[in-house]
Amino acid sequence: MVTATRGRLGGLWLRWSWRDFRSRWVAVVAIALVLAIGTGVYAGLSSTGEWRRQSNDASFGALSMHDLRVTLSPGTFTEQGGLVEAVRGLDAASSVAAVVERLVVDSQVDTGPISGTESVLVPARLVGMTFGLAQPVDSVWVRDGTAPVDDQSELGSAVMEAKFADLRGLPTQGSVTVTGGHTVPYSGLGTAPEDFFYEGPEGTIAAEGELAILYLPLAAAQDVSGHPGMVNDIVLTIVDGTDRDVVEAELAAVISDLGLSGVVSTRDDADAVRVLYEDIDNDQQFWNALSALVLAAAALAAFNLISRIVEAQRREIGIGMALGVPRRQLAIRPLMIGAQVAILGTIAGLGVGLVVGNAFGALLESVRPLPEHRTPFQFGVYAQAAALGVVIPLAASALPVWRALQVEPIEAIRTGHLTAKTSRLTSWTGHIRLPGSTMTQMPIRNVMRTPRRAILTAVGVGAAITALVAVLGMVDSFARANQQANDEFTKGNPDRVVVQLDTFYPNESAAVTAIRDAQSVDHIDAGLRLPTTALAEDPDANLDLLVEFVDLDQAVWTPTIEEVSTPTDTSRAGILLARKAADDLAVDVGGTITLRHPIRTDVGGFSLAETEFVVRGIHANPIRTFAFMDLDDASQFGLEGAVNVVQAYPTEDASKSDVQRAVFGLAGVTSSQPIARISEAIDEALDQFLSFLFVTAAAVMTLALLIAFNSTRITVEERQREHATMRAFGLPVRTVIGVVVKESVIIGIVATGIGIGGGLIFLRWMLASLARTTLPDVGIDTYVSPTTIGVAAIVGIIAVAAAPLFLARRLQHMNLPDTLRVME
Amino acid sequence: MSEDAATSGVDTGFVDARVGHEGTRIDLDDVSKRYRIGDVEVTALDGINLHVDEAAFVAIVGPSGCGKTTLLNMIGALDTPTSGSIRVGGVDVGGASLADRAVLRRHTVSFIFQTFNLFPGLTAVENVQFGADVAQRSNPSGRATRALEQVGLAERNRHFPHQLSGGEQQRVAIARALATDNPILLADEPTGELDFRTGVQILQVLEAQARAGMTVLVVTHNREIARVADRVIELSSGRIVSDGPPVGGKADIGDLQW
Repeated sequence: MVTATRGRLGGLWLRWSWRDFRSRWVAVVAIALVLAIGTGVYAGLSSTGEWRRQSNDASFGALSMHDLRVTLSPGTFTEQGGLVEAVRGLDAASSVAAVVERLVVDSQVDTGPISGTESVLVPARLVGMTFGLAQPVDSVWVRDGTAPVDDQSELGSAVMEAKFADLRGLPTQGSVTVTGGHTVPYSGLGTAPEDFFYEGPEGTIAAEGELAILYLPLAAAQDVSGHPGMVNDIVLTIVDGTDRDVVEAELAAVISDLGLSGVVSTRDDADAVRVLYEDIDNDQQFWNALSALVLAAAALAAFNLISRIVEAQRREIGIGMALGVPRRQLAIRPLMIGAQVAILGTIAGLGVGLVVGNAFGALLESVRPLPEHRTPFQFGVYAQAAALGVVIPLAASALPVWRALQVEPIEAIRTGHLTAKTSRLTSWTGHIRLPGSTMTQMPIRNVMRTPRRAILTAVGVGAAITALVAVLGMVDSFARANQQANDEFTKGNPDRVVVQLDTFYPNESAAVTAIRDAQSVDHIDAGLRLPTTALAEDPDANLDLLVEFVDLDQAVWTPTIEEVSTPTDTSRAGILLARKAADDLAVDVGGTITLRHPIRTDVGGFSLAETEFVVRGIHANPIRTFAFMDLDDASQFGLEGAVNVVQAYPTEDASKSDVQRAVFGLAGVTSSQPIARISEAIDEALDQFLSFLFVTAAAVMTLALLIAFNSTRITVEERQREHATMRAFGLPVRTVIGVVVKESVIIGIVATGIGIGGGLIFLRWMLASLARTTLPDVGIDTYVSPTTIGVAAIVGIIAVAAAPLFLARRLQHMNLPDTLRVME
Repeated sequence: MSEDAATSGVDTGFVDARVGHEGTRIDLDDVSKRYRIGDVEVTALDGINLHVDEAAFVAIVGPSGCGKTTLLNMIGALDTPTSGSIRVGGVDVGGASLADRAVLRRHTVSFIFQTFNLFPGLTAVENVQFGADVAQRSNPSGRATRALEQVGLAERNRHFPHQLSGGEQQRVAIARALATDNPILLADEPTGELDFRTGVQILQVLEAQARAGMTVLVVTHNREIARVADRVIELSSGRIVSDGPPVGGKADIGDLQW
């Protein structure tokens, strides 16, 4: 009998819950969407690491990335076939799965005019290889166009490296001129696994646009480079499960036995492998933190919104208590609201996760083209978020139920019980006299009456704004650092071209004079650039510094010095560090650092030395790598009067491209790079972060608007009886809306304050901890632009305040008699 | 109308132009109100003819569901008739726009609700001042204080509604209506949730308003209360079944018992 009654009641609760859903499905769906965005973004951002890892594995696998590579020393070549034969003669030959001989030579590429603009003249690498092998190693993936079909062709088609082509705007098919005046046609754009990431020539910064790589049939490369029948490089793969170290050691020995000098490197030594895999974990930490923030914002907001919906049922819960309904059954109806949100949120979260995943997948693909892009839905990651998406709504429903059950039934069913539940603050504020009419006071009074609800709402909206400010602030901070670098590089004369020489030349040498006298060059500042290592207490914290020697008194361009010390010890040379470098080395201006650096010996060679230098000041460039010393201090390195880098300035009627072209091919010149390209290169490096941040910002913006709208909608529902009373007294709808808007503005201001404050704290933490490992070379200060503050204010205040306007129609058509008689 | 109201540019302008020419007279001619609930049509009022002159204390009585509150809502321009004509202070309620009906409520009628409908975020005096603010009366703060004194709650003016008893809340609601200084007072079961003693206090206040020149319409199901009115209108199933002075003559409030 009891069971039958329970069964009937159970059915009643379910029917009742279904009616609840029908009457507030918009709110339920909207809250579910809030959760869905949180869980979807969490799933998407948290999956990027795994996607990148899978994409890398698949891409390196698809192109048979080498396990071992032998690179003969520069200028060393050997007869084609000799290296392969040597490999086959190894004791461990059976461990070698495939081997391919190659010819890899440096060259230069002149693209000719591109789409009517200036031509590009850059250093190049020609990779002669065999296409179409049954057992390839480091094969080329042709992204656009076609691969060479005739591997014996002496000057057949080539494949142009895709990232260079993209950055320089080259067409899919065309031809370029390489050193020696050879025209090399290319039939497609693509890349080899070792070039998934590569660095530009010495003296250039993170610039895949500064080095052209051409993949040619071996015979063509031999022909073009003037090394017929010769190779200087082999790549090989080894059989799974065999010992790579054994093969590596035997290879090194056999190369030596052949009388060749060369280096045996492993797959893990390749820049592409190192960078593509090493960055994943660092980057993922960054995205994990951001995704957790977005999820937390969504969870907090959903909790608040659901709680408020369920609060509205408290009187009905009280009636149930008065009628003796078991507490468990009383909990069914409110919990069903939570369950509805949980179910819808979980389903929608799956959809949002897929959409976000597709967006991030497309971004990954555009930022770093790989032959294989894997973005499978990460159910494990999504399940973590979805679990929260289930727990939060249920907890949010359970809390008001629990609170309702703590009240005596007689209290719960009393008219006005809910409105009677006010804080001590309310009682206290009753004695505060506020200026203006009651309509002016009402919004403030309403907020003060229910501070818990007001704060929860503000925190809910504020959490979304926190995420928004953190994400947009990240963009601001990156962009500002880049702008600072750009301003510093280009100050004085933005057309400056940095010309790198292949070794040290006397200042009055033919090489330097040739640049000085080159056509289009107005004047030059000769200098030095020296790679050094700043030693830290912990060897793992040593920093690579590129020390540039500039004539600080005479040169056209000198670094901006932001902080300077008066030297007390003039016997020691001084160095200018980036703020980030000084911080990382824990040294202040006036302190000293020890550099491990090359020093010229009496016999003309170089040895390594460790010398202590005074930190003379901090320069304005946020990039940690750059350090500066006065040219006079070159003597400390045995390099007085020597030059290996030249700053060339164009004549009035010439452009920087003219200067590049004029110095290109001059004896001793290895590269020339317009200084403005450096900031472009930094932009490119930040592209991945920025594009991901923009997608995240869009999701967070949607989240914030949804939360703002829902909060206001619930507020309007909660206050509908008060609004009806106002209208009963003849207040026009616009005045009633005005009161709601003002109340929303107060909440919005608090929410925006919370959001901006929280965003700044989170941003500072992200930049101080995570960006330190993700982008270690750039000193990024916390910066939130006025635009970001404006967006936060628009979302937090204006959108929250404007939300009631969408409910004007509901207020206009409110059934006043019915609403006035409603008992809350 | 009080001196304050008369000197207020807004309310005198409205009253003179749109209500004042017919004072506070209430005329209902063949008024019906029908609702559709699902497939069923419910007739709440059926052919009501009713005329109330100024300065009257009128009680509307009848059992639950007879249409008392619907009638009051329509006189108060909260609702409109399905057919027939309602004129309040010369304004055709049925033909008036939403905005015009709001103006009528702002300057001509005041409500006292059974469930008080006080603003929980405002103190007692602020709730009362709200009425004066809405009606755009001069010196709303002083008017609110005086209204609270009238209902005997001057001492509790800084209390919030939840800090007041039910009777006190109802008195605040009455004070709010009084503070509007509107000439027509509509009270829906004003003593419905109150104990006898408090109910009597409320009736005394309402009667005093009628004596002072207001038109007071009180909806009640309590026939005992109706005995103190000048006129009792009895409704049954949406129709007026009787209309006249209280049976047995008008009683003093002190004689009431319920």
